[in-house]
Amino acid sequence: MTIVTEVFTGGIRGGTSILYAALGESVSERAGVVNLGTEGSMLAGALAGYAVAAETGHPWLGAFAGAVAGGLLALVHAYMVLSRGANQLASGLVVLFLGLGLTSLFGVTYVQAVAPTFSPVAIPGLSAIPFIGPVFFEQDPLVYLSYALVPLLSWFLFRSRWGVLLRASGERSEVLVAHGHRVRPIQYAAVVGGGMLAGLGGVHLSTAYTKAWFENMAVGRGFVAVAVVMFASRRPIRVAGGAYLFGAALALSPALQARGFGINQFALDAVPYVVTLVVLIVFGRRQLRDVPEGLSKVFDAQPTR
Amino acid sequence: MSTDVSGSRSSTATPPAADDDGGASPAAARAAQRRVLRWRPDNGFAAAALRLLVALGGAMGLFAVLMLIKGVNPLAAYRDMFTSTFTSSTSLAGIAVRATPLILAGLAVAVPARAGLINVGGEGQLIMGGVAAMGMSLLLDGAVNGPVALVLMAVAAGIAGALWSGLAAILRLKGGISESVTTLLLNYVALDIMYFLIYERWKDREGSGQPATRALDKADRLPLLGDTRLHLGLLLSVIAVVAVYLVFRTTSWGFRLRVVGGNPEAARRAGLKVGVLLLTAMLVGGALAGLGGFTQLAGAEFKLRSGFVLGYGYVAYLASWLAGHKPIGVMLSCLLLSGIVIGGDSLQLDSGLPAAGVNVLMALLLLGVFGFATKREAAR
Repeated sequence: MTIVTEVFTGGIRGGTSILYAALGESVSERAGVVNLGTEGSMLAGALAGYAVAAETGHPWLGAFAGAVAGGLLALVHAYMVLSRGANQLASGLVVLFLGLGLTSLFGVTYVQAVAPTFSPVAIPGLSAIPFIGPVFFEQDPLVYLSYALVPLLSWFLFRSRWGVLLRASGERSEVLVAHGHRVRPIQYAAVVGGGMLAGLGGVHLSTAYTKAWFENMAVGRGFVAVAVVMFASRRPIRVAGGAYLFGAALALSPALQARGFGINQFALDAVPYVVTLVVLIVFGRRQLRDVPEGLSKVFDAQPTR
Repeated sequence: MSTDVSGSRSSTATPPAADDDGGASPAAARAAQRRVLRWRPDNGFAAAALRLLVALGGAMGLFAVLMLIKGVNPLAAYRDMFTSTFTSSTSLAGIAVRATPLILAGLAVAVPARAGLINVGGEGQLIMGGVAAMGMSLLLDGAVNGPVALVLMAVAAGIAGALWSGLAAILRLKGGISESVTTLLLNYVALDIMYFLIYERWKDREGSGQPATRALDKADRLPLLGDTRLHLGLLLSVIAVVAVYLVFRTTSWGFRLRVVGGNPEAARRAGLKVGVLLLTAMLVGGALAGLGGFTQLAGAEFKLRSGFVLGYGYVAYLASWLAGHKPIGVMLSCLLLSGIVIGGDSLQLDSGLPAAGVNVLMALLLLGVFGFATKREAAR
């Protein structure tokens, strides 16, 4: 396997959990709610997915349970923010600590457990294509699901009636009210749906990527997902690009080291964050215009001079 | 009009007082209930303490249910937690030692928050402070020792923390990018810088093979207070709390920060230099967090390792929110949160539950305070 193939394959494998979480965060942010608790939802999904897969023997049941667990944790955030008027950034961090604590309490029994996992399945025909085949079509089923999810969410957000309502709830909720819609149920659905996607990301992490559960296994991937969403201005297709970029950066240093290049892993790890900052600086104005209006209240993104 | 209403009321032969008791009609009962639910004690220390106690009680109750599910007797667990945390002087000192960098990082949230800025970058600023202090110590390489070296390390840490937060402030002022986004991203850059240094450049070749720097010389460590684990950094953080309190109360800078935080547009029209105020608030905040990194390095850990101040910045951010960004309150809430974390050690030793499980107790407490015991924020 050439190094390019290896990095791209690893980029997709490692980027998928971030992709799910970032897609979820995009949906949530489009409805005007930032969820820093994404990391917590990922952890909840990772544990619930692995535990249910281990108990029932069905990884797909695990995937379902993981999505539910991620959604439940996001429900706490939604309730705090939408119904109790708590600060979004603070509530998100609390939810992260809640997820971290709950999964470490209930995860102890599953640290050594063996669970059925998702394994790569080559798609006949497509996987024979040189380079494209091994990179994209020799992956596990959850990766294929994410391929379908990206255009689907893009269509949902920008082409469907529900998507218009969802985006309106984050931009100008008073317009929705004027048209006789109720804003809060839409926002609840967006935040909980986003948490479910983050939970699926966690499921991919534990049952397909590492094939194990251990405490605090997301190690910052949830925050990375939040950063990717900013980088990609909440557009699913760009989110996919950003998630795979992070994944590729993670895969690059082991690939180089295996070939005897003494590249420092951490210099590479910092690259995606620096790129995100540079993108924000270069396209700052455009990014600002892209921020849903409900969100700019959270970030207080009005430039003050 | 009002006489009309009272007239119609008395005509139904129900005394108005009965409405408040909720016995008259379901609607009135609901209204009365809503009034009770909406009741919030006025601001003030006693009321704040009461709200905190209620939230703490609720959190402990819910956490007790979780312990029952895990097959642990919650009463025994709480008793063990309480006795091993509050009756031994070592764990009391442990709380104070852990709270030291938290307090400084909490002030790093509170000072910018007064000007309406959101600094989620305490983590990165703590790390950069620790990295700069270690770097200064390596640079001096024994040429200077003792107090002079410590002062140089502290200055380097403060400057590094201020630069790290200043970067976010510049991006906000020149690029219009929200500081809450950039400080969050810079946390990861700082973490990778530290990892880069401890895995390669600064790695202790004679060490145990773990990624860590060499330990500071005995002479380059902060002096201990008496024969405890408490170090001079604790004093430094208390001084910082008092200083910030006085600056907020008595200086025109502190007042101007509040004006900017209240309404930047009004402040600008009143002739305040809003940009300079935002920049200085952020620089002071970053410098305080940088100092926090220095105290943790020179007072408690003595070397950079991979878990250095891990998660402290986020806990400090929450502590500042818990205290409504008031300096004295920040100190108290940092002590409270580090007490809970130290209590987690007991949870592991005495009850056999993972120490990280105590994060649930902390999160439940904070949910109680943020969601049910503080005034709602408008449109946030």
